[in-house]
Amino acid sequence: MNKLAKWGLTMPATILVVALLVIPVLATIATTFGEPKGVFSTYQAFFNSGFRTNILYRTLRIALITTAISLVIGFLTAYVIAQMPGRLKSIAIIAAVFPLLTGVVVRSFAWLIILGKNGILNSSLMSLGIISEPLSMLYTEGSVIVAMVYLFVPLMILTLTGVLEGIPRDVVEASASLGAKPIATFFQVILPLAMPGLIVGAVLVFTGSFTSYATPQLLGGEQMMMMGTLLYQRAMVTFDWVGASTIAAIMVVITIAVVSIMSRMARRLNPMAV
Amino acid sequence: MTVSLTIENLSAHYGQTQVLKDLSISVAAGELVSLLGSSGCGKTTTLRIVAGFLQPTSGHVRLGDRDLTRLPAHARDIGLVFQNYALFPHLSVQDNVAFGLKQRGIAAADRAKRATAMLERVGLSNLADRLPSALSGGQKQRVALARALVIEPPLLMFDEPLSNLDAKLRVDMRVEIRQLQKANGTTSLYVTHDQEEAFSISDRVAIMNAGRIMQLDTPEVLYQKPANAFVARFVGFENLIPMKVVARDGAVVTAEAAGGARLHLSQDLFGPIKDDFVLATRPDGLVVRKDGEGVPATLGTRTYLGRAYQYKCGTAAGEITANGALSEPFEPGDKAVLVPMPEQCCILDPET
Repeated sequence: MNKLAKWGLTMPATILVVALLVIPVLATIATTFGEPKGVFSTYQAFFNSGFRTNILYRTLRIALITTAISLVIGFLTAYVIAQMPGRLKSIAIIAAVFPLLTGVVVRSFAWLIILGKNGILNSSLMSLGIISEPLSMLYTEGSVIVAMVYLFVPLMILTLTGVLEGIPRDVVEASASLGAKPIATFFQVILPLAMPGLIVGAVLVFTGSFTSYATPQLLGGEQMMMMGTLLYQRAMVTFDWVGASTIAAIMVVITIAVVSIMSRMARRLNPMAV
Repeated sequence: MTVSLTIENLSAHYGQTQVLKDLSISVAAGELVSLLGSSGCGKTTTLRIVAGFLQPTSGHVRLGDRDLTRLPAHARDIGLVFQNYALFPHLSVQDNVAFGLKQRGIAAADRAKRATAMLERVGLSNLADRLPSALSGGQKQRVALARALVIEPPLLMFDEPLSNLDAKLRVDMRVEIRQLQKANGTTSLYVTHDQEEAFSISDRVAIMNAGRIMQLDTPEVLYQKPANAFVARFVGFENLIPMKVVARDGAVVTAEAAGGARLHLSQDLFGPIKDDFVLATRPDGLVVRKDGEGVPATLGTRTYLGRAYQYKCGTAAGEITANGALSEPFEPGDKAVLVPMPEQCCILDPET
């Protein structure tokens, strides 16, 4: 392919990304440095507020826990799916991604019904006589994490099934023939070779949960605000556009930092991983 | 420590299909035996059962006095060289070779020393830090060989190890494999579909078909004295002509082919000849002549082979392939006689 054709083919996407993503993001971030009180004053204000830093730490914590749980559940499920014979495998993958066919709001709403005061979980526990008073499970970090794991595990399964299927059978057999017990084969061969997929999955889930809005809004409420909900409040309730932009800038920086730490860790385990 | 490998009455199934039928082979200590056959003959299945990747329906695998049949693959202590090399793509050449030593709990310093020594033996010490993706096919196969040898296994197995290499390299590598195997005196089982490779590398070769061993013998015997029609065809005896003995005079037997062509054969050369037998020849063992004692034929297509012309010949006993001298070319449609060279023929039992 000649150079001109390559440019021509990638041009629409490039223009779209630059015009609608790069420029607006840079413009947004630029506004945060224009305050009369000093270039970093809005950032100082953010980090001096215990309320706002609490939300930042909570968001980080929820996103990391969600990523970790999704990685474990997703990996185990994908590992089983990758071993299945053809037709069964397709059925399992369709079943795993089925929840993706509905929207985020609908799926988060389902957990309202399950976890609510008069929800399915409370009423079954009570009718079984395990508890006498309904538990308050909504509006906790736990409820947000459970719902997010439910949201993101399908993505993780999809990503990891592809990667695990790509590990050649004879490499695993070579490991066994050289005397590696199944657990050693897992940690020394399968896990490092699955690393590129684990990274892609972890990045997808981390960025998705770190920036989520609908789920913490529905299941976290006012008590469990996350960066997404805080940003919405700043922009649409208090109309503090610069404050909202500051939050957005902090989120971009943290996302990039976490993603690069993840890929560095992956490269240590597998030099082939990106 | 050299031990023998004994495979006893092995049967295996994939679903309802039986792929191995009561197969028995024994490989003596230090011997290299090849399993040779076309795809689907059961040779790879046999290797996978010995390696522990497949469970047989019945039968036993013994290495020395150890019964391996129910042992998991990682406990068998067998060095395996794969067709696609199966190197660990995330480990350096050095770490690939040291992998088996690590699993045996050998200390890092000793591990490195032994891996380095083995890489030197296969001539790759300068590539120790490379990743497999930066190696050529031949280098990858050497790493795979080093990785299998460094654990000093009592049994080495090769699964079509050269089929992904180009022709020149294949010849060099098989010489190298044979030298290393002989130097270490390791009992070896070698799977291939390439006859020349099997014959050149092996002490004995088992020719397999449909889950059975058709003949297990030295390459010389297989090539000159195939035991049955399958092996005969496999080693190039293209022409199988059914014959009937019509007269016996001492050691000399007169036999008749379909269409009435008569031949005189000596039992001093072929051993006792039964009343019904099959005369097997390679195209070289039948010479196309104007006249002589042989099978009358009408010549068809002529192919130039360099050392001779090859003709497809129509005879009363079916189509026969024979070679004729360059000095005496025939044209398609010519009548001629196909004269067998007795020392290049063999006699088969029609039952086989």
